[in-house]
Amino acid sequence: MFSLCPCSPLSVEEEELQCKDLIMYHNSSQRKYWTFENEETLEKLRYQANQKCCAKILSGKAGLSESLLLDPLEEDVVFKHYEKRLLDFCAVFKPAMPKSVVGTANMYFRRFYVNNSLMEYHPRTIMLTCTYLACKVDEFNVSSWQFVGNLQEPPAGQERALQQILEYELLLIQQLSFHLVVHNPYRPMEGFLIDLKTRYVALENPEVLRKTADDFLNRATMTDVGLLFSPSQIALTAVLNSASRAGLNMESYLTECMGLRDDKESLSKMIDSMRRIKNHVKKYEPPNPEDVGACKQKLERVHAEFFPNASSKRKRGYEDDDHVTKQHQAVEEEWTDEDLESL
Amino acid sequence: MDDQGCPRCKTTKYRNPSLKLMVNVCGHTLCESCVEMLFVRGSGNCVQCDTPLRKSNFRVQLFEDPAVDKEVEIRKKVLKIYNKRDTDFPSLKEYNDYLEQVEELVFNLTNNMDVENTKQIMEQYQRENREIIQKNKVKLTREQEELEELLLLEQQGSEQRRLETLQEEQRQLLAKRKNKQALLDELESSQLPATLLLAQHKDRAAQLETQLEKQRQIVKPTIFSTGIPMGQTISLQPVVRMEEVLYQYQPLFIHTYGPPVPELEQLGRLGYLNHVRAASPQDTAGGYTSALACHRAVQDAFSGLLPTLH
Repeated sequence: MFSLCPCSPLSVEEEELQCKDLIMYHNSSQRKYWTFENEETLEKLRYQANQKCCAKILSGKAGLSESLLLDPLEEDVVFKHYEKRLLDFCAVFKPAMPKSVVGTANMYFRRFYVNNSLMEYHPRTIMLTCTYLACKVDEFNVSSWQFVGNLQEPPAGQERALQQILEYELLLIQQLSFHLVVHNPYRPMEGFLIDLKTRYVALENPEVLRKTADDFLNRATMTDVGLLFSPSQIALTAVLNSASRAGLNMESYLTECMGLRDDKESLSKMIDSMRRIKNHVKKYEPPNPEDVGACKQKLERVHAEFFPNASSKRKRGYEDDDHVTKQHQAVEEEWTDEDLESL
Repeated sequence: MDDQGCPRCKTTKYRNPSLKLMVNVCGHTLCESCVEMLFVRGSGNCVQCDTPLRKSNFRVQLFEDPAVDKEVEIRKKVLKIYNKRDTDFPSLKEYNDYLEQVEELVFNLTNNMDVENTKQIMEQYQRENREIIQKNKVKLTREQEELEELLLLEQQGSEQRRLETLQEEQRQLLAKRKNKQALLDELESSQLPATLLLAQHKDRAAQLETQLEKQRQIVKPTIFSTGIPMGQTISLQPVVRMEEVLYQYQPLFIHTYGPPVPELEQLGRLGYLNHVRAASPQDTAGGYTSALACHRAVQDAFSGLLPTLH
């Protein structure tokens, strides 16, 4: 990742510091590739993914009406539903899962469906794969058996799930463009709390902000803010939002401690982006169960009809080897949503 | 292995001091008698590596390590083809690169690395540079001849010098003896007192010495033992130095897109550490300090904070 010319006169300490700097958000792939300019860009990408998948399906069979397929709005409903399921799954996971793992898993899930359609890859499998990958990347050590043991299912079903996870894992990594490090807003929030305690003496007990701020972050994970703003901005919004709810005005923190007093432009931009984050979070509402039911039915039909043997047909990546996928082709898709319902 | 021996009949130099070890192109040894026995028909396979060998290619092992013998043999072969000189290249660097390449080839062949490829490279080179090789070969033989001539001349010269000195010595001896004889004769026949005669004799002897000395000095060498004539000025200019741009250290600057973060060392002084969990002795064993975690959290908080991302 970072190699120094052996003759450069850096002490070991400096080197260490700079290495640490290099894994920070400002040098990250998240900032470079996975922070999008605005909501419209995201929408466009999702729309394109949807169109591409539709075209693929329709080109195979003539005389199909598009009404059978999901439109981007319907996809969004199903996506929200499965995202909620992902978070629920993580919440009851044993051993207890750290917040950063959950955040990473969720972010993988979101990133995956920026460029892919739910109709092509079933979110049920992808969400488990995302969680499994996040456990590995964030050094939350669970064995694969332990992982599928969290599914409320008979051992045979667990094994099938495991096989599917492993089968999709490489595809997922590829679709994430191998950018696996995710910067979550949780540590920045800790940083802000420490900074508040240290420099912002006007606030007596910053710890009172923690509860509301945590809730804010949890809600924020279910929105697109992770794909639009830097984790530190989200964390600051959470803290300031929590303060304003408690009736505290913390604008002086921005002007005094963040050094924005003389930089009116940055300040207004910052306030603007904080407002946008807040709107996103406020706007979020869980999907309507009826809609979810209808859309899910549609999705199941699409999958059953157009991707019946998805695993053997996929052309991208590693799955070309027949011997890898052949043996569980037969059992594929037996494992349905109902299996997970008992969660 | 202290004792060299034949790998086939297990005879060693210790047990048979007249043992003669032979090496072939593959670099494996055999003693002379084994060679005679195995290669009666003139060719056969190496006992150790099964390479087809000819009896005529066996050489007496000169070095303790047979691999060195092998390398010498290979080097001879390679240099037959790669016989370019420094005058064939426009710059020293290119000549050095060429030498490097030759060494590479020799090394590969000696250590059986990538042999096929290397041989192909050599063949290709031979085809491409046929003319130069031929020209250099001719030049080399001519130079060889010149060298031999020079050697012969030198030999003759030294022989002549030897003879001269011999003659000179004899002449001196003769002169001394004559001198002595003259003294005796004079002592016998002359009427002068003996002391006077003796003094005269001493004078004459001294004169003779100085004369000889002078003669010796006259024959001044005009050539250094290296063959370079005396008095010739040799260029002592330093080798042309290659100037390259020196590496210049530039401190790494990282744009954090956020407010400045306090240095790790200053966290304690600024009071940040009062608000984080202190590190337990167990934690510090691995090099952890609470400042590290604190610094990272604050860094994370400030990184990318200002909305100038796009």
